[in-house]
Amino acid sequence: MEQEKLQEILRVIELCRDVESSSANPFDVDIKEKIAILKQRLPEWKFLDELLVDSEAMLELAQIVKLQDEWLKHRASSLYIDPLLIQLKVKLLSKESLSEAFIKSWHPVAQVDQISPRGLEKAFVYWRDLTPMSERFKAQFGTYGTRPGSVDYSELISLGIFTSEQFEETLSELYEELLQKSNGEWVDYRQFLGDKSFEDKVKRAYLLAFLISEGRALLKTEPLSGKIWTMAVTEKAKGAPKSVAISITGES
Amino acid sequence: MLERKVRKAFQVLVLQRGRNPGVKGWEMKRSLGREFRKILEVLSEDVASMGLEVFEVKGVDGSDDSSRFLLRFKEPPTVSEAETSGIRIDDLAVLAATIAFINSKQARVARREVEQFLREKFPRWRVDYSLDRYVKRGYLELDERSMLHIGWRTHAEVDEKTLMTMILSRSQEAAKK
Repeated sequence: MEQEKLQEILRVIELCRDVESSSANPFDVDIKEKIAILKQRLPEWKFLDELLVDSEAMLELAQIVKLQDEWLKHRASSLYIDPLLIQLKVKLLSKESLSEAFIKSWHPVAQVDQISPRGLEKAFVYWRDLTPMSERFKAQFGTYGTRPGSVDYSELISLGIFTSEQFEETLSELYEELLQKSNGEWVDYRQFLGDKSFEDKVKRAYLLAFLISEGRALLKTEPLSGKIWTMAVTEKAKGAPKSVAISITGES
Repeated sequence: MLERKVRKAFQVLVLQRGRNPGVKGWEMKRSLGREFRKILEVLSEDVASMGLEVFEVKGVDGSDDSSRFLLRFKEPPTVSEAETSGIRIDDLAVLAATIAFINSKQARVARREVEQFLREKFPRWRVDYSLDRYVKRGYLELDERSMLHIGWRTHAEVDEKTLMTMILSRSQEAAKK
């Protein structure tokens, strides 16, 4: 029962909001009737939430009264014309006629856009104190890093990632593995790289690129399906080498 | 003394201070004193020879302080003058249709309703672009409920009664043709 009474007040709020957010006639809301409802229910409210809903409904009704006031004032002014008539007239008019009607009732504002001595001074101080681009982000990011580039084998050795012996050994192991897996057939490149970890995949891809460059393995791409195939060869491949860019992601 | 104050009033009005043109009543009072209206009257007569006038846009509460004063063309420009100033005919047509539509709907219409109305005559992109632009420039006002109202700049620059009359009389001519 209590819920029903509260619902009644919520419906009043909803109705008011609908009228406020549309061009509906605010006189469609019967203020007297709604106030009577609020008055009747007020003594029954016990909780703060109920009283807040009641005051919200009152506020919304006040907004409708304000709209009614504006509605009357506008209706009384000579600006009111039946909206259907205006829609019809606007549809009939060409864009040129519409803009001409506007221009003939238009009094553009005359003003001068200028910079004041104070504004000029502010601009000067700003420019003077502005840190050059090369210095601006040094504190946050340090000096500029190098652009992305390639790392060659000697650099990897100098970085301590590989030793010369390790590299040759790992390369031979990978070649044997590919030779076994392919056995004269094409094998899926990504499957061969495996899905252990991203670092492992990058390492295997890097080594495989060496094998391919040396002509000890072949690579075949299918642009339509996006599939990449590889195969180990026992005899060094001949022919013109081609470059293929392959992205390695962390996804398996 | 009066001449100096009139000159000052002209300078205050013609130099743009903030984002919007014109000067509020309380600023005028501060610059020219309590009798600023009399000074503005004299200025309005002086600038009439240059085709200008001092115009007052009443504020929300109707007080002197909330009014905005600005210099504007006394007579509307000719069509060719307006065209040579770089204003697009299509944009003006959108504004004219919007003002007329809002005024016919008790001076407040949901934006989506205005959009629907305009899209019967103008392409969607121009409607969206123009409405945003005119809201930004003060010709239209958009409230928190997405209702469009006539903006202060329209009240300042456009003789709305003339516009409505022109639209009605012009369409009669068009219908006759």
